[in-house]
Amino acid sequence: MKFHVQHAVRAFILLAFSVMLFKLHFTDEITKFINPKYQGLSQSASVLFLILFFIQITRIWSAKRHTHHYHCHHEDHNHDCSHDHGDSPFNSKKFMAYAIIIFPLVTGFLLPAKVLDASIVDKKGGMAILSNQNKEKKEINSVQEDLTIEHNRITDPKIISEKEFEQFKRTLEQSSTIKMNDDVYSIFYGEISTDPEKFKGREIELKGFVYKEDEFNQDQLVISRFSITHCVADAGIIGFLSEFKEAASIEENTWIKAKGTLDISTFNGTELPIIKITKWKKIKQPKQPYLYPIDVKVY
Amino acid sequence: MSRILRQHIIDITGMVILTLTLLLLSFSFRFQLPFALSPSLLNLNTIFLSILIEALPFVLIGVLIAGVIQVFVTEEHIRRWIPNNKYLAIIMSCVIGALFPACECGIVPIIRRLVGKGVPIYAAIGFMLTGPLINPIVIASTYMAFGNDVKIAGLRMGLGFIIAMIVAFVVSLIFKGKQLKASVPSAQSHSHPIKEPFSTRFWNTLIHSIDEFFDMGKYLIIGAFLAAFVQTYLPAKTLLEAGSGTVSSIAIMMGMAYVLSLCSEADAFIGASFSSFFPTSAILSFLILGPMMDLKNTLMMLSVFRGRFVIGILAVIIATVFITMMLVDGLL
Repeated sequence: MKFHVQHAVRAFILLAFSVMLFKLHFTDEITKFINPKYQGLSQSASVLFLILFFIQITRIWSAKRHTHHYHCHHEDHNHDCSHDHGDSPFNSKKFMAYAIIIFPLVTGFLLPAKVLDASIVDKKGGMAILSNQNKEKKEINSVQEDLTIEHNRITDPKIISEKEFEQFKRTLEQSSTIKMNDDVYSIFYGEISTDPEKFKGREIELKGFVYKEDEFNQDQLVISRFSITHCVADAGIIGFLSEFKEAASIEENTWIKAKGTLDISTFNGTELPIIKITKWKKIKQPKQPYLYPIDVKVY
Repeated sequence: MSRILRQHIIDITGMVILTLTLLLLSFSFRFQLPFALSPSLLNLNTIFLSILIEALPFVLIGVLIAGVIQVFVTEEHIRRWIPNNKYLAIIMSCVIGALFPACECGIVPIIRRLVGKGVPIYAAIGFMLTGPLINPIVIASTYMAFGNDVKIAGLRMGLGFIIAMIVAFVVSLIFKGKQLKASVPSAQSHSHPIKEPFSTRFWNTLIHSIDEFFDMGKYLIIGAFLAAFVQTYLPAKTLLEAGSGTVSSIAIMMGMAYVLSLCSEADAFIGASFSSFFPTSAILSFLILGPMMDLKNTLMMLSVFRGRFVIGILAVIIATVFITMMLVDGLL
């Protein structure tokens, strides 16, 4: 009987991937990485890794019983699978390969998942993107917001019908105060930035984290959110420019809840909605910091 | 005693590995970093892992399909299925790619198997280019991201298909042979004995998939890491300011598509957020180049194909997308 170290290492890696994905789902940290809509996919990946692990452990010891595992018929050392079966001798190149594969396992197990912060808003284009969102929507002149309907139930991703979507819009037009809940955040955001004139003077209530740019006035900041389509790598930014006296004293990345009145202002020559804040308070980062767009059924 | 040990050696080894992993798990719950890492490094790590977590299911599907091809498809099948006529073969491969709902992470192991089994390199490339680009999910997300507008989604699919055919044709002129890495000897005339029972072949499929995963995994991880690095440290703003004329804006959007390495199902939303800065042709170049070739994909291809081939095909794809978009810009 022969012990194959590399096969043992591979089995360990497969199991570790399975357990890492399981842990992320179990602790609900997975929502900090991907849109809950795709949870099922990564759960099946975890199960697949586990199955592959059970297959892999049979290769750790070579005994006569298991000769049929050497399926590639390595006659004359000219096997046709053109991939490494983990039987060839161990060298530094292989060490590197395993080190690379183990790397995400180490960081995944040991480092905490971080919620994206203002520095990423900046890298994603910051105000340049935010202040142009309304312009772009006007150009397209259609219901861009359709797809960015958010909702806040992590466990129950749903697709809303167009009727419900229209209902959301009606609520927006009729309610005395616009309440920016996670469900409706970007429908409302879309509506407001498409036609700021229509909403001028309305009261609005929202929460988000603080983002600032050098060009802002002392009393300005952006109350922003990230919207995640698939995974945090494709996070999009959403945010309202806001104005109030104490703005200068609030640090970036602070989460605040605010109430104010919508108005119109210009930033670098672009017209955009601005919120004159009347009431605000610092809050703890919400359990679910991201917004997740869901699809509107299009008939 | 030693006989019992011998009989249950696999179970025992399995238990040992399981115990080790559970130990690691419980350790990770209690673990606190002894020193503070900078927030940007944690951002980097989060984005890196999220790309990986998003890609893993698709990579696993890819390696499983590759395993099935390796075990169940013989070279004779391929010879029968692929038309001898080069042009027909290119068209066929692009159409099959369009019908096949692949994702760019999972497609590299599949094409490697196909080429190994004797599919001509140009046909494999046609398949690789249309697979992730043209599929129902991508069409739907593009349609929605651009304000339920058929124009962009239609142009993305249509132009993408044409570009894929052009690239496949150019490849057929420039590259001969399998172009697989020299270090991995390719098959000459060996095929698996058909008579093996199904259960054995099924088992072999899974074994192949595991080995394929370890081959591909390291490149996927490097690619995901580089893409995350770019996202964390490269400001999009400087790029936005740099883009004025058509040429530079197309070049910038192509560069972004390449380095960001977004999933083809999600990139439409990012593309849409740039649509106020750049002309439609530049946005389209972002939407078309991304699924065909990106940083993560290039690295995965390097694990399979010769370096020269990968660089060559990268250049052909970029040139074709660029020229097509310049022409389209004149027409739009």
